[in-house]
Amino acid sequence: MYEDKFPGHKFLPYLLIAPSIAVIFIFLIGPFGQSIYESFFVSTPFGTNTIYVGLRNYIRLFSSPDYLNSVAITFKFAAFVIIIGLSFSLAIAQLLNQKIRGMGFYQVALIWTYAISPTIAGVIWASMFAPATGLIPYIISILSGGYKMNWMINGQLALLIVSAAATWKMLGYNIIFFLAGLQNVPDEFLEAAQIDGAGPWKAFWRITFPMLSPTTSFLLFVNMLYAFFQVFGLIDIMTHGGPGNATELLVYKLYRDGFIHLNTGSASAQSFIIFFVISAVAIIQLRIVTRKAIYFR
Amino acid sequence: MKLRKNFLILTLCLLLSTGTVLAQPVTITFWHAMSGSRLGVLESIIEGFNATHPDFEVKPLFTGTYAETLTKYVAAYPSKTGPSIVQVYEVGTQTMIDSDAITPVYQIPGMLGETWDWAQYVIPITNYYSVDGNLWSMPFNSSTAMLYYNKDLFEAAGLDPNKPPTTWKEMEEYGEKFLASGVVDHVYSTGWPDWIFEQALAIHDHLYADNDNGRSGLAKKVVFNDDFGYMIFETWTRLHDKGIYIFGGAEYSANTAFNSGQIAMLIQSTSSLAGIIKAAEFKVGTSFYPRFEGYPVGNSIIGGGSLWVTKGQSEEELRGVWEFLKYLGQKDIAIQWHKGTGYFPVSGAALKTLLDEGWFSEDQAYLTAFLQILSGKRDTPASTGVRLGPFVAMREDLVSGLEKALAGELSPKDALNEAVEKMNLKLKDYLELYGK
Amino acid sequence: MTRKTRQEIFIHAILIILVIILAFPVFFALVTSTLSLQESYQYPPKLIPGDQFTNNLKEAWERINIGRLFFNSTLISTVVAIVKTILALLAAFAYTHFKFRGQGLLFSLCMITQMLPLPVRIIPTYQLMATFNWINSYYALMVPFFASTTGLLLFRQFYMTVPADLPDAARVDGASPMRYFLQILVPISRTNIAALFVIEFIFMWSQYLWPLIVTTTGEMRVIQIGIKMLLSSEQIAPEWNVIMAATVIAMLPPLVVLLVLRKSFVQGIAMQTTK
Repeated sequence: MYEDKFPGHKFLPYLLIAPSIAVIFIFLIGPFGQSIYESFFVSTPFGTNTIYVGLRNYIRLFSSPDYLNSVAITFKFAAFVIIIGLSFSLAIAQLLNQKIRGMGFYQVALIWTYAISPTIAGVIWASMFAPATGLIPYIISILSGGYKMNWMINGQLALLIVSAAATWKMLGYNIIFFLAGLQNVPDEFLEAAQIDGAGPWKAFWRITFPMLSPTTSFLLFVNMLYAFFQVFGLIDIMTHGGPGNATELLVYKLYRDGFIHLNTGSASAQSFIIFFVISAVAIIQLRIVTRKAIYFR
Repeated sequence: MKLRKNFLILTLCLLLSTGTVLAQPVTITFWHAMSGSRLGVLESIIEGFNATHPDFEVKPLFTGTYAETLTKYVAAYPSKTGPSIVQVYEVGTQTMIDSDAITPVYQIPGMLGETWDWAQYVIPITNYYSVDGNLWSMPFNSSTAMLYYNKDLFEAAGLDPNKPPTTWKEMEEYGEKFLASGVVDHVYSTGWPDWIFEQALAIHDHLYADNDNGRSGLAKKVVFNDDFGYMIFETWTRLHDKGIYIFGGAEYSANTAFNSGQIAMLIQSTSSLAGIIKAAEFKVGTSFYPRFEGYPVGNSIIGGGSLWVTKGQSEEELRGVWEFLKYLGQKDIAIQWHKGTGYFPVSGAALKTLLDEGWFSEDQAYLTAFLQILSGKRDTPASTGVRLGPFVAMREDLVSGLEKALAGELSPKDALNEAVEKMNLKLKDYLELYGK
Repeated sequence: MTRKTRQEIFIHAILIILVIILAFPVFFALVTSTLSLQESYQYPPKLIPGDQFTNNLKEAWERINIGRLFFNSTLISTVVAIVKTILALLAAFAYTHFKFRGQGLLFSLCMITQMLPLPVRIIPTYQLMATFNWINSYYALMVPFFASTTGLLLFRQFYMTVPADLPDAARVDGASPMRYFLQILVPISRTNIAALFVIEFIFMWSQYLWPLIVTTTGEMRVIQIGIKMLLSSEQIAPEWNVIMAATVIAMLPPLVVLLVLRKSFVQGIAMQTTK
């Protein structure tokens, strides 16, 4: 950190951070603590009775096929959004990184999906894929000679469509960051590689990609947070977690159990588990990136 | 002299203004989940009440789906910022009974020094919301399930449009004829499969859960995992495998297929009737929910919602609430509600008037629903409907099980058993929290 | 044609195809919003725009009071974005220009809260709103969002690149820290401020789960929930034409914000990635 640029002002820094710290403690850390506490109880919706059950909520979750299903679905979903999303965005960013006329236009024309909310993305894709009357099922039925695409009776399909919608929405964001990262790769490196006889593919993997690793890891993290937490609106609008439990992401199951089944104990336990998973993944990511960065240097 | 005159005028003004202040209507907040066309009818009924009862003002608020409405009600409870009246779906009945947050409606007249004749309401409807013969919530939007069918498609397939199937065996036979004729790709679908399953049990006087369907005490386990229950699952799976039954999803999407002529029959709530008649471009027929031949007769069960009154209101508010509830049960209002939405009128007198004025002979379709509940049993727990605490979650388990059976992941029997296991666990948990 | 030109044309072609594919869903929404109900249910579906946009919008207006929802969303997105920015500017200033006890710990704490998105603490935060009696108020919609780790990181990063002479000179001149902050630091942070505004505005505009549970009345809802209300209406199938009209309106503000502040946004991000 910086040194003390304004010595003598003992209280000022505390004043400056006070509002943020207040909000963080009152609305984030406090409730989180309480959530952990509540996860060790079961209670009635109207609060007429609360019973301490220790780890039972957690044990129940881990032995519940529905919950494990939710975990699997969430990871599949996140994997799709991250892998497909980042690959596509990187490829597009590469294309955009050329010195060609009209790049400004293309940049704008490809980043705007960032401004679309997940909910709206969900609404639009839901209508495009509506079983009996939607555009895409119609096209598919023509191309495939009559196959009736109906995500309401096909869980895998539903998950695929939902993943595609979520990925589409994030493309803009990923492209901006990749583009910025790419523009930081010094031309001299790439030119040197060209002189050395390296093809564009090799140059990409040996030089560009490693230099992108801060951006990549940042985007990995952001996309993960997105896939785990910010797509609730999309799921609620498109599938309500269905058909069956096919698109019941962890965050959706949490909402269902907490707010529809009125089972606060289980929902609190689920909250903590998600937190744990995210933190673990983030820490692992951090370790890998730091190590890679060291190697690179 | 002048001073005195002014003083008199001033006092008069003050008195008048106080009078106006005192005459401010008492506000009754009412949270509900009625949307679409139902909302319009509800709002006009409320306007009528407010106009004829200047001492009170009912303020309706659409708070989302039934589930969302209940959630918001639960959340508002600790800070006492909830409404005077809340509409809760029938599956939330046990939760509300156990909530300690409401005043059972049968107690209200006594609290206000009035008496009331509860027998004026239609019995199969009030039975659902009664505990030990006393009405706890006011039935408001009640419906049951029946069979809708497309008369035009029947003709096209060479079937008599005035002879719809009455048994599941006939459903299968008619189904095969439909498929053979090539008129449709699939023959029937249903709304809310979980509710349709409950209907199948109740129609044959089969209990859903022990303790008299949860009515004489909190249910400890479900009791339909027997040959009869397996038969239901097996029949539906077989019909699905033959392509006769198409599973339309957990809620209303089956209606679209029916309205657009893609399927010939639909087992759905009676409250869909108005919407279907409006949207369909073919002759709509209705009939009773199909039966399994040779099994006992029960009754179809009431679904929908009822109105609950929050505890701890002032006497004025309670009076307003009670006036509103009485108003809703009045013959003319009940008729207005029924004609606008298709829900059953809760007033017996309304029913009689509708029959007398020939409302049903104009369109037989509306009559079917009534005949079904009025012609069945009304005094057995199995025919009255089941009350369960964790009902919402249990229904999801049942649908899950059905889906697994239909998808062929499990045999119908195993799928049902798996669902039953999950459901019983939930009952056990509920008992732990509420058992005395 | 030179190889380079052929390459250029090839790239243009691919880019144009990509632009079209990416934009297609929104194009579809736009077209649907101009159709009448029967047209929107036509099978096979057609992609020719109709003339019903104003009617559909009027429908949406009546059903969910879109004007009010639009106002709510705009209000909370703008206010929260501004407040977040201010708090982040102040906090980043504190962490980078001062030394104080607990600095490292408090900063780490702020960073950890990135791991505490709403779903992880949703029920107690909701209960807190009930306790404060903020349910169904702007406070509930806004205050819990006032702390921004993105902003903190963004500004801290940026301030660490500010040459040391700047604050030194200010101190020597006798300027108070706040004067330095307001007259020097903030103005040069303009690009980052704009970038953060875009990020936070879009983030708030997209909020769904929180407004869903924390608002109960039609007046307090946000536009995302309004759209859901339009959908979850019916026993009949969704009326896509009306829904899309509302959707089109709901898409505009964040798009406008992004496009207007695009340059700063992209620049701000570029600054981030330059290590």
